Amino acid sequence: MSTTNGHIVEARNISRIFPMPAGPVTAVADVSLEILPGDHIAIRGPSGCGKSTLLHMLGCVEAPTAGTLLFRGDDVTQLSDRQRSLLRLRQIGFVFQRFFLLPMLTAAENIELPQSEANVPKAERRQRTHELLEYVGLAARAAHRPSELSGGEMQRVAIARAVANKPGLLLADEPTGELDRATGEQIASLLDRVNADGTALVIVTHDPALAERSTKILSMRDGRIESESTSA
Amino acid sequence: MWVRCLLALIGAALIASATVQADDTLPSVLISRQLSEGERLSVGDVIRLSASEDGSNVQQFRIAGIYEPTPDPARLGAVIREVQLHLPDLLSLTREPSAPSGSEYVQTINVALVDPNDADAFSRDVRARMPGIDAQPATGAAESTGPFIVLRRFHLAIAIVTIVASTVFLLALTIMLVDERRAAVGVLRLIGLPIHRILLQLFLEGLLIAVVGSAFGLALSLLSEGIINRFFQWRYDTALVFVRVTPQVAAVCVAIAIPLGVSATVVASWALLRRNGLRLARR
Amino acid sequence: MNAMGFAWRSLVRQPARASLGVLGVAAVGALLFDMLLLSQGLVISMRDLLERTGFDLRVTATDALPGQGPLIPNAVERTQAISQLSSVRSAIALRFANAFVLAGGPRGVYTTFQGVAGTGAAHPWTILRGRDVTAGRPEIVINENTATRTRLAAGSRVMLRASCAGQKQALPPVPFIVSGIAQFPFDSPSGTTIATSLQMLATACGGNETNEADVIMVASQERAGPAVAVSDVAALLPDLHVLSNAEAVNRFERGGFTYFRQISTVLTAVTLSFAVLLITVLLTVSINQRLGEIAALRALGFSRWRVVADVFCESVLIVGGGGLLSLPVGALLAIGLDHILKRIPGIPADVHFFVFQPSALQVHLALLSATAIVAALYPIRIVARLPIAATLRDEVVG
Repeated sequence: MSTTNGHIVEARNISRIFPMPAGPVTAVADVSLEILPGDHIAIRGPSGCGKSTLLHMLGCVEAPTAGTLLFRGDDVTQLSDRQRSLLRLRQIGFVFQRFFLLPMLTAAENIELPQSEANVPKAERRQRTHELLEYVGLAARAAHRPSELSGGEMQRVAIARAVANKPGLLLADEPTGELDRATGEQIASLLDRVNADGTALVIVTHDPALAERSTKILSMRDGRIESESTSA
Repeated sequence: MWVRCLLALIGAALIASATVQADDTLPSVLISRQLSEGERLSVGDVIRLSASEDGSNVQQFRIAGIYEPTPDPARLGAVIREVQLHLPDLLSLTREPSAPSGSEYVQTINVALVDPNDADAFSRDVRARMPGIDAQPATGAAESTGPFIVLRRFHLAIAIVTIVASTVFLLALTIMLVDERRAAVGVLRLIGLPIHRILLQLFLEGLLIAVVGSAFGLALSLLSEGIINRFFQWRYDTALVFVRVTPQVAAVCVAIAIPLGVSATVVASWALLRRNGLRLARR
Repeated sequence: MNAMGFAWRSLVRQPARASLGVLGVAAVGALLFDMLLLSQGLVISMRDLLERTGFDLRVTATDALPGQGPLIPNAVERTQAISQLSSVRSAIALRFANAFVLAGGPRGVYTTFQGVAGTGAAHPWTILRGRDVTAGRPEIVINENTATRTRLAAGSRVMLRASCAGQKQALPPVPFIVSGIAQFPFDSPSGTTIATSLQMLATACGGNETNEADVIMVASQERAGPAVAVSDVAALLPDLHVLSNAEAVNRFERGGFTYFRQISTVLTAVTLSFAVLLITVLLTVSINQRLGEIAALRALGFSRWRVVADVFCESVLIVGGGGLLSLPVGALLAIGLDHILKRIPGIPADVHFFVFQPSALQVHLALLSATAIVAALYPIRIVARLPIAATLRDEVVG
């Protein structure tokens, strides 16, 4: 039986080493951190410092090579692939730099998809989808496919999809990386709102303006957390 | 004692000599390889033949040789148990005792002409001079025989269906291959390259792939020709050739494959190039 | 959205590609279906034809097929003896020859000539117009082709010059009256056939062999069946060979028919390989183009089995759609191929090479199902083993 002290994620000395033909590469080295409900954390650092790898480990997409990673008290490394999938489906949301919406589905269908996979009844998920489209300001674009949406609109749909199953944790990997400044600002505001509504948020970014919106900023270099600061 | 031994040796030699002479007087026959293997017969063996099931009118023959029967598609699957006799021996074997000699008949007379090109004229001449006799040139007999013509049409129909299916496959593949390069093509269009310039490049690529593919296909067909022939020759114990890739067949295949391959590439590319360059470049 | 619905949307997203995949499967599936029909079609058709004649046993002098071996001596008495067996319903003696019907041209028309003897048994032909021959009278029945070419009809008088196996001299023409036009079950589409009583055929053949026949055809009693009749006839006439319809078909199958079985096997293997290759390539390229999406779905919580199911359902849809389409296409193709093959000389008009059997349909469906599974194996392997994080990274870098 797992025990939890209120932490959503507790990482203790986690590392990720990639075996390469030319020799092993340590992407993340000996990182410890905790994510509490409602946290708003930014992870920043130069390209190749291991921030995305760390995010993938926190999201149970990748297992650490060393260390302990607990999600709500459960040791993630002891879970089967199926259990980790269920964890991601119900408790973690992902937002990607490239949106990764399914082009053959409409905006509404993209948001409905994870709910359908989580066996949410049809009426309930239709209601939830409508609410989320309203939430992200795209109720009028429900029937549009991704090819008919702008970059910012696609990312808003992606955010709606990520929170469709009401996860406790939302992980965003460079969510404004492919957007212009103004659109990025809109996305950042939306993410703030999601966080304010109770979802813990961890953003990986190299945009200082986006990082400044977080309550805690972790700076990484060479796979390690170099510094930790809190914003006013 | 040594006198008795000498006499015994001479007696044995005489007996052996008599046996050899008796064998030498026997008429000779040839038997098919299949009969030889089935009945464990070999050259020099003496066999007894009868034309009737009750075994009457039995005659002895010596096996002078074993031959491979001419492959006959009409007898595919049959075990060719044949004996070849001199015609007088066959007539002697099959003649009814009461029938006078000279009243026998044959079904066919094979004629070898001094000049084979005279076959048609010779056949017409024989038919005109001997009513009731049918004479046909042997060359082209296989071509004119009904079953072979029908089977050729059958195989052609199968080949056409196979080509149709291959064309569909090819078109699907080229559409996918061209589609994979849509972003690159879109960028080229955006920077100003005209459609025909890009189409020419894709055409040349398609031509190269078609040529290399045809060469590979020919190599594969030659390999499978050997495998198929060996398998079916073993399976049916025959020397028939089932598959033959002639230069003409190869030329026809290449003449179909290359234009098909190139056309599929051009069609797939044209469908792509008609779209707006910006749409192509955007993922 | 379940896996099948997801797969459907994935396919319609690329309609050209999906359509070509379905059409490709339809084309090869049609050929596959036809080869399955061909593998047994000729045998089934020949068996049906033999059974439709109403006779289920054939008695010959040797193990050669009827008409290819020596004549049966004392055929009439032996036919009567056979017909009196309790397991036998009826028996007729049949002799084959050839004849020139001296009408319709200077040389006449060359025909197959049959002579029949037997009491209380139906003749192996069907009267279309006129009436049947009467034993002992110089009457013949002729088939439609002969009637057309000779311009003869019921009641016409005609001279016939027979050409009989083993005859050593030219035979004089013999007068006959056409009593009727008949249909012969083993006639080829362009075949010419005439028939009379065994006695009149023997007369036309010189009159020396009045009591000989090529074959005695026997119909067994329903309650006894052919197997009992075979053993009864064999016991009665141990010097003759008895062949049931099933055994006759077996011999055909081992002989010339075997070519079609072999070619159907080879083409079945080729078409299946082709279909597997086509679907595997289609699916693999399609998946490789959307690895990022698949990795994203996995990151969002889709299980490995769910994405595998999506791929498998795509394969099922392509093969299923193509398979359904292949049936009418295959049926049309079978008609065309049958039409070609029926032109082989000597093939009876009522024999078909492509015969529908439910078992062929079942095998067809089973093979297509196996194709869908096998073709999906490699693409499934790709998605099942997809490294989520590495793929997401590659998509960003790419």
